[in-house]
Amino acid sequence: MSNQLAILLAVLLFPGGVFALVLGLALKGVDRRVAARLQSRIGPPLAQPFFDVIKLGFKRTTVPEVASQNVFLYAPLVGVISVLLAVALVPITGVYTPAPAIGNLLVLLYLLMIPGIVLMIAGSASGSPYGAIGFSREMALMIAYEGPLVLIAAAVAIRTGVGMGGWVTFSLSDIIAYQREHGSFLFDPVMWPAVAAFCCFYPANLGIVPFDIPEAETEVLEGPLLEYSGPVLALFKVMSALKKVVVLSLGIAMFLPFAPDNWALGLIVWLIKLVVLMVIGVTALRVAIGRMRIDQAFTFFLKWPLLLAVASLAVVVVV
Amino acid sequence: MGLIPDFKKIATRSPWLYRINAGSCNGCDVEMAVTALIPRYDVERLGCQYCGSPKHADIVLISGPLTVRVKDAVLRLYDEIPDPKVTVAVGVCPISGGIFRESYAVLAPIDQYIPVDVNVPGCPPRPQAIIAGVAKAIDIWRERL
Repeated sequence: MSNQLAILLAVLLFPGGVFALVLGLALKGVDRRVAARLQSRIGPPLAQPFFDVIKLGFKRTTVPEVASQNVFLYAPLVGVISVLLAVALVPITGVYTPAPAIGNLLVLLYLLMIPGIVLMIAGSASGSPYGAIGFSREMALMIAYEGPLVLIAAAVAIRTGVGMGGWVTFSLSDIIAYQREHGSFLFDPVMWPAVAAFCCFYPANLGIVPFDIPEAETEVLEGPLLEYSGPVLALFKVMSALKKVVVLSLGIAMFLPFAPDNWALGLIVWLIKLVVLMVIGVTALRVAIGRMRIDQAFTFFLKWPLLLAVASLAVVVVV
Repeated sequence: MGLIPDFKKIATRSPWLYRINAGSCNGCDVEMAVTALIPRYDVERLGCQYCGSPKHADIVLISGPLTVRVKDAVLRLYDEIPDPKVTVAVGVCPISGGIFRESYAVLAPIDQYIPVDVNVPGCPPRPQAIIAGVAKAIDIWRERL
């Protein structure tokens, strides 16, 4: 019983729920502020994403006549719930360890796919042609980046499993425990292809500029989100904020979970890693380059990240 | 009282802008979409963000004299913007038709068709004026929330 209560608390309070929501929105604020500074603008206040979400709460929600109403309104809810669960799966070194029943890399991979699927469903349910374009682009992009992600996860799992004397382990706590003993995978040359592939993967999963093709504002008017307004749109904003926390902390858990033993210090180090990972992989990237076309992104992912991921898997299995 | 007025105050710090080109010559649009966003006049300081979809918009910036051809599209687009919304007419064209006045093809002044809250005259208006207009629109918006 206490175990279930702990899981519930992890989903709703820390590190999921309230904590992840505040953190995700704050990260978005840092992202916008840093991007503005890189363009030598002043930029919005750090709390801007909070203002946005509160503002959207005051707006009216409209449902298009051609939309399938229930799917249109409840799809984002499914997305938010799935990322809330996903946040509770990712351990924070020295601070939070998920219950063994849920702390599994494979479960996390499945939960991570749901926001993308929700976006596809929402786009097609809205009945808008732009939503349909967003749907097809999101699907192509997911096909392109999910393959490398699975291979990266497999490489990490096999490396850990072999290191611990077995064959493969998908338990995130074991992955972190192994790295804390033997050094982070970031400093392990065998894992470098996987690290590089992950660096290509996470901007795409987060829908950041070179890969924000499904939601391209200037081309398809935010595609799947085009018809959304008011509180339901706020749910999408919340979903993407939470997803940012999940994906970045997954990267930290898989490749650089080193941390001091102290609880507070561990949290601070984790936060610093989170911000650094975001500023490099999200902010600097989206300021520096423009949007790819969907075919360019597709071939890019099936060329480099997939190659790197296959290479890392091969190297891990051989070594 | 207590919490709710506070939230309204917070909400007005996030005005999302949407541009409607009602037959403008693009002069005002360049000022809105480009010049108002450059480092010197960064409109994002006010929390503004240009959005691609009318359904996300709070403040509508209309430029141009409303030509006959574009009228229906503009009115439909305007209806799609969820309440509460504030309209800012940018440039002199929405007020009088500007250099296009007395043409058989324009329907200016635009406030015969759409309720205009703030006028920002000029041909084109300076970016400071556009930002001042947006700031004024935010005040009006606060009362409507």
